[in-house]
Amino acid sequence: MEYLVDMKNITVKFPGVLALDDVSFQLKPGEVHVLLGENGAGKSTLVKVLSGINKPASGSVTVGDKHFERLTPEDSVNCRISIIYQELSVVNELSIAENMFLGKLPTKKIGFMPVVDYGYMREVASKYMGEIGLQKDPDTLVQNISISEKQQVEIAKALSTEARIIIMDEPTSSLSIQETENLFNIIRGLKKKGIGIIYISHKLKEIKEIGDRVTVLKDGKYVATKEVADLEVDDLIPLMVGRKVKNMFLNTEEDVSKNEVLFSVRNLTRKDGTCENISFDLHRGEILGFAGLIGAGRSECMEGIFGAKQISSGEITLKGQKLDIKNPYQALKKGIAMVTENRRETGFFANFPIWKEVAVSTSLKRSGLGGFSGIVHVDEERSAAETATKQLNTKCSSIDQMTVNLSGGNQQKVIISKWLAVDSDIFIFDEPTKGIDVGAKSEIYQIMRNMANAGKGVIMVSSEMPELLSTCDRVIVFREGRMSGEFENKNLTEEQIMYAAIHEN
Amino acid sequence: MNKAKFQRFWEKFGTLCILLLMFVAFAIATPIVKDGKQYFLTQNNMIQVLLQSIVYMLLAFGEFFAILLAGIDLSVGSVACFTGVVIAKMALAGVPAFFCVIVGLLGAILMGTINGLLINALDLHPFVVTLGTNTIYRGVSLVITGGNPVYNLPQWVKKMASYIGPIPIPVILAAILAVILVFFTTRTVAGRNLYALGGNKMSAWYSGIDTKKYTLLAHVLASLLAGVGGIVMLARVGAAEPTAGDGYETYAIASCIIGGTSFFGGKGRTVGVVLGGITIGTIFNGLNILGVSSFWQKIVMGALIIGSVALEKAVSNTAARS
Repeated sequence: MEYLVDMKNITVKFPGVLALDDVSFQLKPGEVHVLLGENGAGKSTLVKVLSGINKPASGSVTVGDKHFERLTPEDSVNCRISIIYQELSVVNELSIAENMFLGKLPTKKIGFMPVVDYGYMREVASKYMGEIGLQKDPDTLVQNISISEKQQVEIAKALSTEARIIIMDEPTSSLSIQETENLFNIIRGLKKKGIGIIYISHKLKEIKEIGDRVTVLKDGKYVATKEVADLEVDDLIPLMVGRKVKNMFLNTEEDVSKNEVLFSVRNLTRKDGTCENISFDLHRGEILGFAGLIGAGRSECMEGIFGAKQISSGEITLKGQKLDIKNPYQALKKGIAMVTENRRETGFFANFPIWKEVAVSTSLKRSGLGGFSGIVHVDEERSAAETATKQLNTKCSSIDQMTVNLSGGNQQKVIISKWLAVDSDIFIFDEPTKGIDVGAKSEIYQIMRNMANAGKGVIMVSSEMPELLSTCDRVIVFREGRMSGEFENKNLTEEQIMYAAIHEN
Repeated sequence: MNKAKFQRFWEKFGTLCILLLMFVAFAIATPIVKDGKQYFLTQNNMIQVLLQSIVYMLLAFGEFFAILLAGIDLSVGSVACFTGVVIAKMALAGVPAFFCVIVGLLGAILMGTINGLLINALDLHPFVVTLGTNTIYRGVSLVITGGNPVYNLPQWVKKMASYIGPIPIPVILAAILAVILVFFTTRTVAGRNLYALGGNKMSAWYSGIDTKKYTLLAHVLASLLAGVGGIVMLARVGAAEPTAGDGYETYAIASCIIGGTSFFGGKGRTVGVVLGGITIGTIFNGLNILGVSSFWQKIVMGALIIGSVALEKAVSNTAARS
């Protein structure tokens, strides 16, 4: 069998991480080959080897009759590989035709002067748009068409380059059911032309509908390749998950679910609709995990609780008292703390040394007049920062060191120190171990458990199931902005979580 | 002195070094250009330098808070002028001094509030908002005065710029304000939070800082301090010109930048702004003594602003590399 693409034993290393470990992958002409795996499994990394962005440390790629050690972006274009990213890369300010010819505008000469040949462009654009049934004037500005039409523009553009291989990265993530069906029809048309399609998706239902074969990756490693025809989609879940977890279970022996309810949320819906109708209870001394795929609405829900983003409805109760939180200042005052996901963007201050960083929220909580009055007690703040850095084992030259110059794990500890100093009742951690080395990770789990043992309520949003299973007492699963499962962490498995996270009910 | 130590030294005293360098240059140049006698480095002239610096310094105090939030306030000159015009008009109508000053400053606060509210409500860059309000506020002064200077003011107006002993009252005022601002920026929760907001707006929001109210505060402070500058301008001239302070935002911004305030927000010190203001005053004073024409002064002024900031940066870069 002749393969369109034959990737053999690809290994890609990033600083400190083995992103792909000896992965092989083949694509046949006219097939839809689905790449499946969790966030961080290596799907995008593999695809970026084909587009020439990632340079493999070892392995080889054969495209048609051409053999490469590593592709350059130019090779990728010459091999007629097209990628349609999740974040579409069309230019809104240009027309459909101009987008299709971006970077290679056809010209004609008027006298000596070369000018853009709009007539030719329109003609060619219409031809390829017609092939996939996109009924628009090629002169329409792209900003005036829908997302699914933009995607079709990209497909037409790929066809116009006579692409033989088209890669689609989660193409249906922002499409309606109707639009998805339409896309599938286009894909079926592409298959008939002998084009090979690499299709990245989380949605198991789609695999059955459009896929021919599926390859599962996990933690940068190849797991299996299956024919879709002889498989039930649920069979795939165990392949995506189920790694060996080192036993470092931190969940308590005692049954914290019998403790009093410290904090409860009822029917929380965010104004922008990113999460809807969320209800849960958090007990004293409990670590409650929130699982789900990226974009499932977990962080969005927490931002809503914390007052950082607007909610349209919902009731929040802390220690039996109803709260009306309109902004993070009120959350802080009422005793809710949140360690955000993006340290650099929403966590620390690039212009502050550690001690000021730690002091910010404390001084704010003490201050009156909505956070405007009061003086700062520098000596007190410095000694509090000294204590906190020692307590959390933060590695720094001194508390005068700038937070921005610390490693990711230590930055995280500084931010945690900031919220520990405030003495809150509820601690929300959003992806607390993202981009942090293993040692610091386990320290952070321990910090969270200590907080819980001290009678606080702890919420942990994480996309890493092993850490949820090893740290949390209970796990709530989100799918597409809603709660899709709730489990006591007793004999709970990654399969159960994954099933709730991706399975259409 | 090792590298790290020098860097720390330069961060603290760089602006002062540049200023001293300028003093030395003018002290050497004036006897050469003039009749051999020292005109620049005299006690009397030093007080003149301070007096000339005060208006720039006060406007720069205001500008500082706008720049601290990684923004800008282009309306400080017009706000200063407006404050002077309001006080002059009321003084002319026989309103007691105290009320004139209070109403004038309330007017400045109103303008700062408008700036802040527009920035918050329209979510526009302060550059755009204050570019517009600068013209609007200037227009308001022109409308109020009919384009004519307001003069024949009561005695108390000029008295505000008189001397206590050898020291002019505006210098004392600026010194007191500087001390208050040093305290405000380093020792109060609100001051600290402005630095936090300037350093990272999103982090500030997620740390519990009400970013919109603080943005409003910064712009109210900017206009209030510009208003104080306007009072000094009025007192020194003894009349309110509807075109007074036109283009002074340039000097206010320059004072901040020379004084080490970062355009990226979150960095800068009051003391730096004081020195920056004095640097601008020194350049004007020195060029006057040297007999440079006011047209040429503009050219030299611009070059010296760029030169002094470039020198400061070059020294710290060299220190970082060596």
